[in-house]
Amino acid sequence: MPRWPFIAFLTVALGALSGAAAYQHAPPRQHEGNGVWQEISWPFPRDGWPAGRAFRCRTAACGGEVELYVRPKMGFCKCDRGVADDNEVDRVADLDLMSQHFAPLAPGDVVHVADMPGRVRAYELRMPDGLQRTAIGLAVSRRCDLLVAVAHGRGDAPEVRRAALASLASREMTRWMMAAMEER
Amino acid sequence: MSGRLKLAAFFSIHFLACSSFASAQQQAIGAPPEALNMKLVGSSDLQARSAYQPTIHHQGDRWIAYIGHHGGSDEIPAPVNPQNGKAEPNGTSIVDVTDPAQPKYLRHLPGQEGKYESGGAQMVRICDGKSLPKGDRSAVYMLRTFGGAAHEIWNVADPANPVLVTRIAGLKDTHKNWWECDTGIAFLVSGAPDWRTRRMTQVYDLSDPAHPQKIRDFGLPGQEPGSTGAVPTELHGPISTGPSGNRVYFGYGTNKAGILQIVDREKLLNGPKEPTPDNLRLPEIARLAMSAFNGAHTVFPMPGMPIAEFARDKDGKTRDIVMIVNEAILNECNEPRQMVWFADVTVENRPMMISNYTVPEASGTFCERGGRFGAHSSNESMAPVFYKKMAFIAFFNAGVRALDIRDPYHPKEVGHFIPAITAATDKRCVKIDGKDRCKVAIQTNNVETDERGYIYIVDRANTGLHILELTGPARAVAGLQ
Repeated sequence: MPRWPFIAFLTVALGALSGAAAYQHAPPRQHEGNGVWQEISWPFPRDGWPAGRAFRCRTAACGGEVELYVRPKMGFCKCDRGVADDNEVDRVADLDLMSQHFAPLAPGDVVHVADMPGRVRAYELRMPDGLQRTAIGLAVSRRCDLLVAVAHGRGDAPEVRRAALASLASREMTRWMMAAMEER
Repeated sequence: MSGRLKLAAFFSIHFLACSSFASAQQQAIGAPPEALNMKLVGSSDLQARSAYQPTIHHQGDRWIAYIGHHGGSDEIPAPVNPQNGKAEPNGTSIVDVTDPAQPKYLRHLPGQEGKYESGGAQMVRICDGKSLPKGDRSAVYMLRTFGGAAHEIWNVADPANPVLVTRIAGLKDTHKNWWECDTGIAFLVSGAPDWRTRRMTQVYDLSDPAHPQKIRDFGLPGQEPGSTGAVPTELHGPISTGPSGNRVYFGYGTNKAGILQIVDREKLLNGPKEPTPDNLRLPEIARLAMSAFNGAHTVFPMPGMPIAEFARDKDGKTRDIVMIVNEAILNECNEPRQMVWFADVTVENRPMMISNYTVPEASGTFCERGGRFGAHSSNESMAPVFYKKMAFIAFFNAGVRALDIRDPYHPKEVGHFIPAITAATDKRCVKIDGKDRCKVAIQTNNVETDERGYIYIVDRANTGLHILELTGPARAVAGLQ
């Protein structure tokens, strides 16, 4: 009895399973936070951590154009202490990807994102082109791992913060962040 | 059998063979250690405590090993000390290794409560009172960390009965200190509360250990209090060449964005001390910024190494070399490879990487064994027996690796030793589909040598202390009988 039909069936079945798995794990290209966020490509050169995900919101609901960058930093947190103070946010929150020159606008606040505790803080960024931007740096942790986010825009700090936190609180982002923190 | 069936059978057999080869690499309790040109002399279980820095001290007619410990684990936060039956937070193990074949466990000195890097007393250095300018000549001083909260100095003249001398407290972290025994100057890795980084340098005069005198705080500009903008990579540890060499080599970073900073010791100690950006820059001679993929756990200076290949050159016959050891931190190869680098710093303001070393992963399928695979630390003893000839690198699940570094442009491995696991060896886990998948493997964390030529390795996963010696060709490299 020829065996090739069996082999062909197996190949098709494996292909279908792989396709389904890939579809399940594919990141959403657009998600609803507070306003519509469009996913864009990670705009920064390679550094010590793999690229994360980047989004742009151009609607009035975000207070004008806001960009948001999110990524895990595995093993970069003091395991028992977590994100204990604002210095930790200054140090880890990826603000330096946009500019080496930033100054906090106020002390930060405690925040929870995807069930992870941490801190969020507002900054004034001096961009390489000399323009000023408002930025929100955020770092939350689970055990020894960090998840960091930075958002920047031309609006005022409370607006950028509200838009960024709403985006991070969306179901799709929460699901992705939780999955990303499990990947090791 | 048809051609297609033969092909399928071939792939099946290949798949099964590869699987069984991989599982054969998993360590098993009772299996012999894996070794080449290195031999086990003796061991101590260190009360199954996770171990970091060993320091071996020739104390009178005895040889004493002082071993710092990380905090306890989730399962056993404070292991029981069998000497007194009490549960004690991990601290410092003090072991008499005069006869390395029969180490005698003398004392466990508890450390700070807390798990993993948040507790314990991981770092330890020893100076004799008679070598310190203002020390009690009958004392032997142990400088140790107390978790992240403090540095402590104990008198361990009677190593079984240490006596607390002093404590420098109020810190948010500590780590890998350096203490010059001839001057008493200590470069303490601390987290001063107002600095923007968890780890920076506090320079102290500990020439009279009972009365510590602070000299200054030091770090990279951007880490100091009140600064803004990006915060440079945090300190891991310094090594000083003392007044004669007049250099302090600082290693920043762990497994990311490492920096080797070369500092003029005299300017560091006697320059302006207010931590302004200009004052922090003043003693710096040069920096070597490493890839974002690698940190700098240990920066070990070896000035004036004669290079055989350059012997007939009119200039540059000897080179100043710094060995830089990265630290792997993630289990099962979930990060770029952390390894060993050699930098030629002869022309100090233009330091240059000249060579590197790693364990070939395929030589033991180390990414599959469990736990960390990659470098962590080197021996730091500058005793003539091995200095500038051999280096020993703790490589986590690949054990300790013995390198012939006589030609640092071409370092080569001449021996290795991977201890067997025991019932005490702790598991290491990774997340697979949201669930922990755990394996048990040796995690050789730190290594030190003594003047007699013994090599001491300790395990992060609670397997204890193994005392080794070189055999065969590796022994000849060191010039040992």
